[in-house]
Amino acid sequence: MERRQSCYMNTYFEEVKPSCMWLGLSGTRGEALSSRRAVESGQRTALPVSVEIDQYAIEVLDFSSHYGSENSMSYTMRNLAGGPNVYPSFGDFTQTAVFRAYGTWWEQCASAPPPFHRTPKSFHSQDYIELAFEEPVYPTAVEVLETYHPGAIVQITACSLNPFSQNPPADVRWEVLWAGEPTKVLTPQARQFSPSIKQLSFPTNLIRLEANSSLLKYYTELDAVVLRGQRERPIMSLYKMPRIDICDLSDSDEELLDPGTSFRRAGDEKYMDLVNGYFDRLPYELIQLIVSHLTLPDLCRLAQTCKLFHQHCCDPLQYTQLSLQPYWPRLNDSSLGYLQSRCTLLQRLNLSWTGGRGALTLTGFSSFMKACGGNLVCLELSCCHFLNEVCLEVISQTCSGLQELNLSSCDRLHPQAFTHISNLTRLRRLVLYRTKIEQTAMLSILTFCTELRHLNLGSCVMIEDYDVVVSMLAVRCRSLRSLDLWRCRNLTERGLAELAVGCRLLEELDLGWCSTLQSSSGCFQHLACNLPHLRKLFLTANRTVCDSDIEELAANCHALQHLDILGTRMVTSTSLRKLLQACPKLLLLDVSFCSQVDARIVQELSGLFPNVAIKKSFTQ
Amino acid sequence: MLSVLSYGRLVARAVLGGLSQTDGRDYSLVTASYGFGKDFRKGILKKGMCYGDDACFIARHKSADVLGVADGVGGWRDYGVDPSQFSTTLMRTCERLVKEGRFTPSSPVGILTSGYYELLQNKVPLLGSSTACIVVLDRQSHQLHTCNLGDSGFLVVRGGEVVHRSDEQQHYFNTPFQLSIAPPGAEGVVLSDSPDAADSSSFDVQLGDIILTASDGLFDNMPDYMILQELKKLKSANYDSVQQTAQSIAKQAHELAYDPNYMSPFAQFACDNGLNVRGGKPDDITVLLSVVAEYTD
Repeated sequence: MERRQSCYMNTYFEEVKPSCMWLGLSGTRGEALSSRRAVESGQRTALPVSVEIDQYAIEVLDFSSHYGSENSMSYTMRNLAGGPNVYPSFGDFTQTAVFRAYGTWWEQCASAPPPFHRTPKSFHSQDYIELAFEEPVYPTAVEVLETYHPGAIVQITACSLNPFSQNPPADVRWEVLWAGEPTKVLTPQARQFSPSIKQLSFPTNLIRLEANSSLLKYYTELDAVVLRGQRERPIMSLYKMPRIDICDLSDSDEELLDPGTSFRRAGDEKYMDLVNGYFDRLPYELIQLIVSHLTLPDLCRLAQTCKLFHQHCCDPLQYTQLSLQPYWPRLNDSSLGYLQSRCTLLQRLNLSWTGGRGALTLTGFSSFMKACGGNLVCLELSCCHFLNEVCLEVISQTCSGLQELNLSSCDRLHPQAFTHISNLTRLRRLVLYRTKIEQTAMLSILTFCTELRHLNLGSCVMIEDYDVVVSMLAVRCRSLRSLDLWRCRNLTERGLAELAVGCRLLEELDLGWCSTLQSSSGCFQHLACNLPHLRKLFLTANRTVCDSDIEELAANCHALQHLDILGTRMVTSTSLRKLLQACPKLLLLDVSFCSQVDARIVQELSGLFPNVAIKKSFTQ
Repeated sequence: MLSVLSYGRLVARAVLGGLSQTDGRDYSLVTASYGFGKDFRKGILKKGMCYGDDACFIARHKSADVLGVADGVGGWRDYGVDPSQFSTTLMRTCERLVKEGRFTPSSPVGILTSGYYELLQNKVPLLGSSTACIVVLDRQSHQLHTCNLGDSGFLVVRGGEVVHRSDEQQHYFNTPFQLSIAPPGAEGVVLSDSPDAADSSSFDVQLGDIILTASDGLFDNMPDYMILQELKKLKSANYDSVQQTAQSIAKQAHELAYDPNYMSPFAQFACDNGLNVRGGKPDDITVLLSVVAEYTD
């Protein structure tokens, strides 16, 4: 059968008796459909045949990041819908879904926030994609076609909600079908990743994949996802009983977080000395230290055991940092409400990925913020789709000391909402990747937030003139250390020149896919001369980068660690050699699709400079 | 595939003065392609739908049938750039846009613009240029929407006569309008037309209409009357007949191209402009022949 764009591929169980010969696997779609109809009406066979169907995703509903441009078909998450375009070929193709980052390069940068305390060891996810399929099924397999650097998938979850239903139910359940560690695959081959998944008690057509590319040598690329399952609930006796997951025992966070009153017993007083055993002898600070190593669910469970631990586990000192991202499926307004009393000393809060589909509302969020946001220094709100303008207003009013704000991929946030950020005058780190912020709000923020050190404006497509924005930066934000202008389509040498002169402390600059920058204007050389502290420079897909630019970097930027010059035809190995010799700290050099730097040169340079990871991607 | 009986019915209706505008059936294009690359060594079909430096595509979507032809400008070869890379990638990208539904049937210029934009999003540093002609049949409205940039083009033939045709867009002799991606620094020197410069047209079509979309390799070697003569031989709207006719047109153009004494349209035009030449014009030839028929799944 030729591959089709349609989403159904019918297959049959092997149990179907061959006496019904015409129920063949090799029939055309028409024959298969009619034969299935006959089976369902019980005409030909006495055996109950369960029909297993394969589906490709029909829509990508949500995702945390992607490499490509917002309206493009190239390297964007939209490519994960539909059938495979590339599999089983292995290579760097435009028709695949690619995340924004890979490896540990971004974590090494100064712009990366330190990890949150209490992150459970089982939580590895860095990116996610949510896919909708046409028909809800009881899944028997999920296959992910990975066509470049496989190994990134770390979790597959299924949702009880049908995203296309007109009347969504009140409660939305997410079940983990499979969870694992990030891996990397050594053989350069496309892979059909199909881990054994848990049996579900409800049908699903909404699958979420979570990924971690930290072990990979280059960007992972995904071609398609297949959901295989049955329409009818499988007969339990045909399968082994599902293992009862220990986390399932406590079904909701309310139970965990509600202190309850059941443990207060009468007549405790005479046993006071021995009530908690040797724990009574330990100093308060020591128990606090012990308890500080527990993950949040364990902390909540421990709080229910006895008064002493309840006191320790609800002590606000345990909640100076709080990451609720690993618990995104179960977090809702009531959970936040229960946490309020403990979080009065909260300084760093991570609500990334939470609150979707009505789980968190303005009421719950603002109540929490007003109670606990006063001392907040860092607020991570990546992919928080519950946010609206009023939420941002609440943040701007309660978190006056806020230094770090991450609104990455909050693409449903109305442009008007960003104006409130200008009230956060102590901001040092601001991430607006893939948001719809407009120029006026941006200029307003830059006017008032003069202490900015790290600014991410990657894929902010609604900003009309980047030269104006960058000029303002150069004037107002002189302490700037890192600037991400990935895909900022109309930045020219004028803006860049002012940036180089105004922000002399700049260490990281991402100008990837900024096609309006021309090397012939001298802008890159000017950059190199004026920014001696440069540690990271991405000039990805700027086809004009040439030998003189590389030589200027070699002459001036000896602190350089990461350099990406993907896709230029003008750079030769001579200037690269000079660069590698002059920059002893260089760790990453991406020369993919540089036509004058072939595999042989890469091999030679890798041999001479073994500390540098030289990347040479290919399409084949 | 139409049975003889149903096609007979259609021909009868068409002959009796066309179908009413309120005809509720969906239309489709039965299309076949054929061509010759100028350089035989490359073979007739390189990677499918590619004849020398020409490239084409045929795509189906539930709302429309779309065809495209792109003629890669051969002059890039002198600078070490493979001219077929640009045209092939452009056509494949447009095909993908159509298959994924990322287009509006009434705006073939939109397909061209998006396709060209996607070329710039490719990590691979593409270089080169090509003409482009896109033809879209909107199934429900029975309208044909076209856009043409450069000297490829299309003809619509009804009842043995040309009822619509595209115009050639030339900057000067043998220099058609073209989409291009130039090497850095050469942007001012290399001709680069915007997709907006394409000519667009929209008109109604009827069942039985014949649409011929081709690169200039055909039109420069075969005048209209010869093409019409070949098209008279197209008796039915099934794929095999269309394929046969497309093949015979392309073969004839190919023969004429290498005839040194033949007064080809190209030679005629040159003479009209003061150049005393005769003979055909050896060039890549791409022919997409379509017949408007009823839509069957």
